[in-house]
Amino acid sequence: MTTSEQGCVFDIKRFAVHDGSGIRTTVFLKGCGMACKWCQNPEGMRSDRQPVWMEHHCIHCGECWKNAREGQMEWNNHSPVIHRDWKGSFDNLIQACPTGALRMDSRTYTVEELMTELKKDQVFYRYGGGVTFSGGEPFLQKEFLLSCLKECHQAGISTAVETALHVDGDAVKEALPYLDEIFADCKHMDSSIHKAFTGVNNELILENLRWLLKHAKIPVTIRTPLIPGYNATPEVIASIAGFLAECSPTVHYELLNYNELAPAKYPMVERDYEPGIRHRFNEAEMESFKEIALAQGLNNVTI
Amino acid sequence: MNRAEWKKTERITRLQEKMLEEPRYASIEQARIITRVYREHEDCSIPVKRALALKAALQEIEISVENEELIVGNRTKGVRAGVIFPESGCSWVDREFETLPTRPQDQFLVREEDIEEFRTSIYPYWKTRSMEEGIREAYGDTIKAIARVVKINQTDHAQGHICPDCAGWLRKGPAGILKEAEDYLKTADADHREFYQCVITVMEGVLDFIERYAVLAEEKGMKRVADNCRAIASHPAHSFYEAVQSIWFLFTILHMESNASSFSPGRIDCWLWPYLKQDLEQGVLREQDALEILECFWLKCNQIVYLRNRNSAKYFAGFPIGFNICIGGVDEEGTDVCNVLSFLCLKAQEHLGLPQPNLSVRLHEHTSSELLQEAIKVVSKGSGMPQFFNDKAIIRAMEDTLGITREDARDYAIVGCVELTTQGNNLGWSDAAMFNLCKALELTLNHGRDLLNGEQLCEDMGGLDTYQNFAELEDAMRQIVDFYIEEMMNAEVVLEQAHQKYLPSAFLSTVINDCMKQGLDVTRGGAHYNLSGIQMIQVANLADSLAAIRQLVFEEHSVSGKEYLDALQADYEGYEILRARILNKVPKYGNDVAWVDELGTRWATYFRSRMNDYVNYRGGKFHTGMYTVSAHVPMGENVGASADGRKALEPLADGGLSPVYGRDLLGPTAVLKSVSRLPDPLTTNGGLLNMKFLPEFFESEEGRIKFEHFLRAFVDLEIPHIQFNVVRREDLLDAKIHPERHRSLTIRVAGYTAYFVELDGKLQDEIIERTSYDNI
Repeated sequence: MTTSEQGCVFDIKRFAVHDGSGIRTTVFLKGCGMACKWCQNPEGMRSDRQPVWMEHHCIHCGECWKNAREGQMEWNNHSPVIHRDWKGSFDNLIQACPTGALRMDSRTYTVEELMTELKKDQVFYRYGGGVTFSGGEPFLQKEFLLSCLKECHQAGISTAVETALHVDGDAVKEALPYLDEIFADCKHMDSSIHKAFTGVNNELILENLRWLLKHAKIPVTIRTPLIPGYNATPEVIASIAGFLAECSPTVHYELLNYNELAPAKYPMVERDYEPGIRHRFNEAEMESFKEIALAQGLNNVTI
Repeated sequence: MNRAEWKKTERITRLQEKMLEEPRYASIEQARIITRVYREHEDCSIPVKRALALKAALQEIEISVENEELIVGNRTKGVRAGVIFPESGCSWVDREFETLPTRPQDQFLVREEDIEEFRTSIYPYWKTRSMEEGIREAYGDTIKAIARVVKINQTDHAQGHICPDCAGWLRKGPAGILKEAEDYLKTADADHREFYQCVITVMEGVLDFIERYAVLAEEKGMKRVADNCRAIASHPAHSFYEAVQSIWFLFTILHMESNASSFSPGRIDCWLWPYLKQDLEQGVLREQDALEILECFWLKCNQIVYLRNRNSAKYFAGFPIGFNICIGGVDEEGTDVCNVLSFLCLKAQEHLGLPQPNLSVRLHEHTSSELLQEAIKVVSKGSGMPQFFNDKAIIRAMEDTLGITREDARDYAIVGCVELTTQGNNLGWSDAAMFNLCKALELTLNHGRDLLNGEQLCEDMGGLDTYQNFAELEDAMRQIVDFYIEEMMNAEVVLEQAHQKYLPSAFLSTVINDCMKQGLDVTRGGAHYNLSGIQMIQVANLADSLAAIRQLVFEEHSVSGKEYLDALQADYEGYEILRARILNKVPKYGNDVAWVDELGTRWATYFRSRMNDYVNYRGGKFHTGMYTVSAHVPMGENVGASADGRKALEPLADGGLSPVYGRDLLGPTAVLKSVSRLPDPLTTNGGLLNMKFLPEFFESEEGRIKFEHFLRAFVDLEIPHIQFNVVRREDLLDAKIHPERHRSLTIRVAGYTAYFVELDGKLQDEIIERTSYDNI
């Protein structure tokens, strides 16, 4: 067992109650091969560590500026502007900041370090909970992920992953023995539209989905995040549900309501959030999506 | 058990509405009677005068009965009256009488003629004869001198905080207890005769009191109520209905004798269950009938409130009277006690949602999912009830540190808010004093001087600007804590002497074992267990303060002790960067960071260990609790800027076990982990952990199941207490305005979590929009 690998983690959330059964800790692994326009965790897209500035936390004290090295940042309008292309460490700025407004968007963990964190809530896992690896795309750090999954099982901790499956199918196959539950996304059936919205075609995803639904002996949940203006139409949902019903009519299919909080993190990564329609669906609308999915022959649909 | 059929009847709805509509008045009626009896019997001893005064009140006080009531009895004619009680102390009434209708907390209407009578014929008599005067003369200066660090409680009112022997009361009935006293009297020696005579006096009054209700009910054509009253006066309770009525008279009369907060029924699903079980088995009562009787009792618990002075009302806002009812838990053999009555209690709480009784559920490893799920359903209604206690944390600590037998410890119940007690044999004196550890730290850092006004309060042991290392600081703190503990213990002796002298309580003594057997009043040590509880205030702020000092001054050396002290003296004005660093760059209690949590644990453990060096005036042990009701607000008004970044006068952490509000950034599991580092013996007098959840969490069955997992882990972690509030729209609106107070408020969806205060205004509004109780 190697525990020397390092992983890049952009968040660890304890008491995660929407990422699998029981009370869980969700680990967000950094880096994703897709670029969904509605991504709710945009800081998880890039695989490298980046400094971020959280305006809400800043008291504009200038401590960072006082401690800055030449070319590392500018002080503009009583606020820091970080030069992201600075080659070298930002530790001096991060340490100088008294509020934590300036911070790195992630940190690296050894498997051992991460396991120490994950075991903190072990007493809560014993009633059906565990650890969920999310992202980003967790399978992109496949060696690290695999080591962590093995360590979790060694420690008697139940495991799950949340993946978009735009990944090397072997990574999934290799991880499967150490997984107790899997959540995979299916966002659109039309490859060109898929590419337009997520940056990638969907062939690889569908291939992995087919394989998973045929071979996985663990609970699998397929999720579609409903994005107004992109995929939240009766036709798209019907086509996804139809595809799933063909593969496995008993699979658990979950329709996720639009997360209107998604834009919140975009200023931090200095990007714009594109989707224009940003409203959650009401109960009746969600019900009607569910009906559509059921009509395609699926029998385990939740909203 | 057929829970689906349990309904709230129209009778209950009407009685509830009527009760809440009725205006609340201050009442001097009993004060008038007591004063007259004392004047007529100047040459009698105080115990005799007290007994005669109670008897007279039982015979004379105006009574009333509502048409539809099933359970009758109150200590005044009107409901929820603020009873003025002279023997313990009423100087504050003289000072504040006119302000009662308009004061900020706990208002009462007043009648002009009552003020007049109080000032001309009641107060003048007590001015020199009340307990508070006695204490003031004997020790008032010292109590005042230490008040900023130690608040000595019960200087002007009786102690209360007792679980009487309800089972014994039902088994014997008032007539049986009267007979028992007469029997004891026959063989009693001279020292004990007076006690039994006093018991006989008050019991005669009790029988008269119950008969008066029977007569009045008869006059109003309420034959069932009248028969019920007559039955329980003459013989022990035979049915559930009789038992509930009998218990209500017990509590009404306890209040008439003591006028004290927190006489608590305790484990009614244990001692009331045999009566219900028998009625159900014999088919004389349906579950629905039992529920209606129980809900009538629930309403009654809201009809006696407690009049406190303005200051005390701040510490204990909302006139809590502390009818704590406890369900679930293990029996004397360690087996789960849960039965139909446990569920009826939850249903009554769900139906009424009133502040009283304070409903508590005892949990252990084998508590059924059925009970837990039902309790969670009631929690989701947002009344903050039921609260949960942990057998696994409490029973062993009681046994190990207080010398309580296993059987008695397993039979523990709760008095008032969260104070722990054995049932029917304990004068727990659980509210003896509050010790402000944060103020003690302030004096340690600031050369013994009060940060708020510069006054020298205790010896100068040094300051944050002079300590060379953390150990020196802790040494100084130890000496200051020791000094105030000694002062506090001296005050406690004076206080207990005064209670013994001024407030002997014959009636109460009949329902606390072993008073009757020993012929000894409860204030004189007649109870089987005689404890005194001191509250440690507030370990969360203390841990955060010490952690910040240790890290920034003595480890990182990023700020000098002198600069830090300057910042505290300036209330952080001009030191905003330092304050930001303290708040954000030092870990806080409540985030599962062992070294921080252990700083708090260490001081609480030290304080607790010092309790073993003292014995209380009744010969019993001192122990500690970690809870405040609303006292963290006035206690905070007494503390200058603290080293944890808190500004002067701001509230301290709420609860007692809870982290400082808004500083627990890693969610509820991390909070439980931090709290679990506090050893159970620290809270044998009670601990209080408050937590908030968004109502969304309870909407789905899945959420409620996860909540159950959370509670089961709470049991495993051996945390003594937890109570849940549901986040309200108002909280969210406040978080928009004061984000710094709500930093830990978290919104969770699949694969995503956000702190509410970090969302922009529009997104916050959307969350606010969907946060309501309507959909639960």
